[in-house]
Amino acid sequence: MSTLINVGRQAPAFTLADRDGHILAYGEIPTATTLLFFFKYDCETCSLTAPLIERLHQALAGQALKVIGISQNPISETTEFIEQHQLTFQVVLDTNLEVSADYGFDAVPAVVLADRSRQVGFSFEGFVKQELLELIRLTAASCSTPPPEIVRTEDQLPEHRPGCGSRVHDPEIARRLAVRRNRATLSARQVRIPIDEDPFEFMASQGLDDGLPVVPPTEERVLRMLSGTTRAASQVVAHIPPNLAPATVEKIAINAVMAGCRPEYLPVVIAATEAACNDEFNLHGVLATTYFATPVIIINGPIRHRIELNCGGNVFGQGFRTNATIGRALQLLVRNVGGGRPGGIDMSTLGQPGKFTCCIGEHEELSCWEPFHVERGFSPETSTVTVFAGEAPRAIRDQLSRTARSLGASMGMCLDTMAHPKLHRMGQVLLVVSPEHARTFGRDGYSKSDLRHRIQEVTARPLRALLPDDECQKGMAIGALPQEFIGQDGRPTTVALETPLSKFSHEDNILIVVAGGTAGKFSAVLGGWASGTTGSTAVTREITT
Amino acid sequence: MKDSIVILDPTNEIEPIGRQLATRPDQLQGTLGIIDISKPRGDVFCDELERLVRQQLPTLDIIRLRKPTYTKPTPANLRDEVGASCQAVIQALAD
Repeated sequence: MSTLINVGRQAPAFTLADRDGHILAYGEIPTATTLLFFFKYDCETCSLTAPLIERLHQALAGQALKVIGISQNPISETTEFIEQHQLTFQVVLDTNLEVSADYGFDAVPAVVLADRSRQVGFSFEGFVKQELLELIRLTAASCSTPPPEIVRTEDQLPEHRPGCGSRVHDPEIARRLAVRRNRATLSARQVRIPIDEDPFEFMASQGLDDGLPVVPPTEERVLRMLSGTTRAASQVVAHIPPNLAPATVEKIAINAVMAGCRPEYLPVVIAATEAACNDEFNLHGVLATTYFATPVIIINGPIRHRIELNCGGNVFGQGFRTNATIGRALQLLVRNVGGGRPGGIDMSTLGQPGKFTCCIGEHEELSCWEPFHVERGFSPETSTVTVFAGEAPRAIRDQLSRTARSLGASMGMCLDTMAHPKLHRMGQVLLVVSPEHARTFGRDGYSKSDLRHRIQEVTARPLRALLPDDECQKGMAIGALPQEFIGQDGRPTTVALETPLSKFSHEDNILIVVAGGTAGKFSAVLGGWASGTTGSTAVTREITT
Repeated sequence: MKDSIVILDPTNEIEPIGRQLATRPDQLQGTLGIIDISKPRGDVFCDELERLVRQQLPTLDIIRLRKPTYTKPTPANLRDEVGASCQAVIQALAD
């Protein structure tokens, strides 16, 4: 929408050069009545107006009127325009279009009449004959002279002709101008990379990457990224461990740029940061552990479609920008803002590929159950992000089960090996059920609760089979058993030894989502890390813009 | 300026304070704290450690402390307790 500077306001001062490099500083000192004429060379309405402005200049130059032409084009095209219309008033070049942007018009020609103190007396854009006549009258009046004869019968001027779009709206220029306009909202330190240095190599040499090249976060890219949220750039979203450094929206945007995100992903990255940085999720521990855990991001709700998130085939795999870059952005934030790096606070023995990125969407449309986030108390229309401290996905292969009960047993048997078959009463686990498997459950009317119950049923084994023994010294620690299991001698009681223990301490520890392609009777399990108040618990947050 | 590319700093822009190791005492005296970080069998290890220290330094006072969980940093109140009551402390990562 045009915000052409109008009557009563002060015309912005500017400094521009003409074709010979002579500087014109408008507004530096009080000047005569000034007529500013903005044009571009390939605009027919500008060509219609230019001769009339020239005549006004010829008529009133002696009456102390100063006409300034302001060209939106480079020298050669500007010269062509000047020669075509035989303009004799001074023409300067708005090379960066910043003056045009300051004056706020949408279309050229744009004409602004201002008095000695730069107060605007009249302005218009495009061509309207009545406005032109009014301009002539007001210009002459401000020069204390009768209106000259500017319009001739042979001109056959139309009553009205729309102007052409100002070049400030050319996409590339608009982006550049936005950077200039919004630069004040940024506060991150600027780092100059010498032009003879490859930016990718520079960033790698500074330790700012994750082992793969990152996109250089220029001001323009960061500002474009910030357009993806309505939050202020300075807002602190969370404090990222291990250094508990404040993550502002701006810092999140910078790292999202580096990860390769598009602006519309930014709200998801912000919500994921919020979800991960609290005592419940315990990102510090997830990062520092020698175990495999890393934030696994699960996205639910309508935003999945808007950002083209993959929920289908190869959902954990490569080739999907949305999934790949959202997960990567969170990891880069931990590294760059939080200061968590492998070999430093990150002490993982083996790590896992998900520590580059791990982000999936639930395939809600192919689920036989209500969506994961609805189960966790959100409405279906709400978009959410959940973080779960998980291992890498591992296969559950069952192409033969035709009943939900059998398939549930298969899943239980596979889940029993999580971490170690002799470790039971475990914390959270993420079970990713494929659409084909979900169909089997749906056909039999098997609820998530039924599935959880079946998993607990088939994994239940007496305590005696889970304790360390000569055959396998790994097993459940006596100290981790409930108090009532332990006798006077500090050993498990006879009753306790025969008590069946299921794989998970509570059925609710089994998190279930549906994801993946439509073909393949394969599901996946992502083992958890230490759970509960002494470890990490999955956290869900709403995604807001 | 055309001679360089400008990027925005993705870090927290804070130079981390160098974490210096505390000065090691020449000899153990006063109170020694032994902190169990709550890993399985950490108590077994700490018991044995305490036995060996008592054997060699019978006059030393030893107090046993325990982190609530190995998964999180030492809570402030435990750090304060160590600072107020111990001249030396033994704490190590497990596994």
